[in-house]
Amino acid sequence: MSEKIIKYIGTPLEIIQEKPEMVVKWPRTLMHMHTYGKLSKFFQELKKGKLFATYCSNQDCEEKRLWLPPRADCPDCNQPTSWIEVPNPVVGKIYTFTKVEYPGEGIELEYPYFQIDVDLGPQFATIFKGYLLYGKPHIGMKVVAGFRIYNPTNTILDIFWVPKK
Amino acid sequence: MIKFGKRNLRIPKWQRPVYVVAGGLTPFRKKFPEYKLEELCAIAFRQMMQENDLKMSLKDIKGLLNFAAYGEFADHFQDQLLCEAKVHDYLGLDPLPNIGVKTGGATGGSTILTAAMAIASGYADCALAMGWERMDEVDTKTGNFYISTAACKDFETRLARMYAAYYAPMARRFTEMYKVSEVTRAKIAVKNRLYAYYSPYAQQSGKHTIEEVLAGKIICDPLRVLECCAMSVGAASMLLCNEELAYKLSDKPCRLYIAGGTHTLRVADRRHMDIPLLPHEEPGMYDKLLREMTAQNGRWPGFESFLAARFAAYMTYGMAGIKNPLEDLDLVELHDAFTISDLQTYGDIGLRPYGKETDYIESGDAYFGGKCPSNLSGGLLGTMHAVGATGIFQGIECLWQIQNKYDKFHGDPKIWNEWADVGEYKGKPRQKPNDWKSLQVPNAKKALWISHAGVGSHVTAGLLEKAF
Ligand SMILES: [Zn+2]
Repeated sequence: MSEKIIKYIGTPLEIIQEKPEMVVKWPRTLMHMHTYGKLSKFFQELKKGKLFATYCSNQDCEEKRLWLPPRADCPDCNQPTSWIEVPNPVVGKIYTFTKVEYPGEGIELEYPYFQIDVDLGPQFATIFKGYLLYGKPHIGMKVVAGFRIYNPTNTILDIFWVPKK
Repeated sequence: MIKFGKRNLRIPKWQRPVYVVAGGLTPFRKKFPEYKLEELCAIAFRQMMQENDLKMSLKDIKGLLNFAAYGEFADHFQDQLLCEAKVHDYLGLDPLPNIGVKTGGATGGSTILTAAMAIASGYADCALAMGWERMDEVDTKTGNFYISTAACKDFETRLARMYAAYYAPMARRFTEMYKVSEVTRAKIAVKNRLYAYYSPYAQQSGKHTIEEVLAGKIICDPLRVLECCAMSVGAASMLLCNEELAYKLSDKPCRLYIAGGTHTLRVADRRHMDIPLLPHEEPGMYDKLLREMTAQNGRWPGFESFLAARFAAYMTYGMAGIKNPLEDLDLVELHDAFTISDLQTYGDIGLRPYGKETDYIESGDAYFGGKCPSNLSGGLLGTMHAVGATGIFQGIECLWQIQNKYDKFHGDPKIWNEWADVGEYKGKPRQKPNDWKSLQVPNAKKALWISHAGVGSHVTAGLLEKAF
């Protein structure tokens, strides 16, 4: 009777350097399953060309301004927030920006491109990061939100900004 | 708007004094195939135990240890979870308890804070704070992507996958708001990389000119290549203890104060608030600045400043009785991951009032020989940013300055020779320069270091005070 021999079914590692220290290639390909949780609505609405923010509807809470990025819970009173649509056209002003020349691995935008931080006005508690589809930014420049309704990416890249005419 | 509750601003109070007696470093390299991670940790541990004039043997000091705190920024760089257990076992410290600490770029500072709390509470009489990072398993582009997952993955990471792109908008806003010349930022890069030139541990030292910095390629504008730190490999190790052991172990112990602060991961979520004042600042002194900011649609802390750094400094100054940092401190080590983060911090920790940050450089105060020199270690730009080790490295450099041991640890040809030919310097050894000079601050008594994460998400302010 023969014992079952355990076979090696992997792929041998490629050697980068044999001496003096042995250095090998160590492959790592993984898939994550990521939930947008209570913020799913935000991403779902982007694909319909709509921008949704959240706000705290707790009457006792002092923070009445809108959150964008949205938050499902208010950081001040820790109660669940409510959704509100930011009416189209969504117009903001560039608060600051950078030209991304050397992005990291996996970048999904053609580069260089301008990453911009958009001030949507005093009714918002926050400033909203995005990118400029075309044009040259300057601080204070007015921009309008656009949406990737066709072939959406299902990511934050489904919203972009264009210079206001 | 963030409002403090009555006791949020309580100054931390140790139950008993905490001391630091020794530190150890590896050299820092962009690539380091000669050693595995735990082997690097052992190198830093040995230097800490054997080269700091401690009055007991390595074995006897190990017999005093009760606790270890280990800092590592990112598991995915090494693809090794629970590296703490590997290092702890490798150093022969089982079954003493250890805790792994992770607060991004501030991991080193938080690790020391954790070890200090163990001493202060009485949990331990003697504790190890060690940090490391191994960032050379992946190429720089992948490394940049990994680091960018320390931006918000849902709303920020995909917009650059590169951390410089989260600092660059701050640099632009700071420049516009305070009318800062890019030459000032370039001076920081030149200064810190020059100080690294005198350090045998340094990875990216160089005698650069302002012109060279300004001619460098743009990474994310306005930040240029020499304004950004690099991927790094190495470890740092610090020994903390209570008062009794401090004097048994060392003739030159230093008292430690350290506290932390936190702010949103996304800069853009930073709501406006009143500026918490440091001891030397007068109520009303920022009224004009805030008016000017508001006129430009700005806010505090906005994209210009770090609330977490201000909060940490407020706490640590309170603990250590610092009345005026520029007058009371003999040197500082700041988190110059980018020139802009260094510059922003000058206001947060009160080396200058907000809006006048550049004057700290332009006045000469920040230079060796100046009123309160910064980053004589070479900082992150010149010497290292092996992230989990960084805050510990900074603290050790402060310790050695107060102990008057800059020359011992930076000038010894033996140390230079030992590390000349490793990592990316293999085959083109980095030798002790003929024009090496000492950066020892004469009679240093108090030194502060800032350990800083994200775009200001976590900050610790550590302060060492001469106690001999
Ligand atoms: Zn609320």
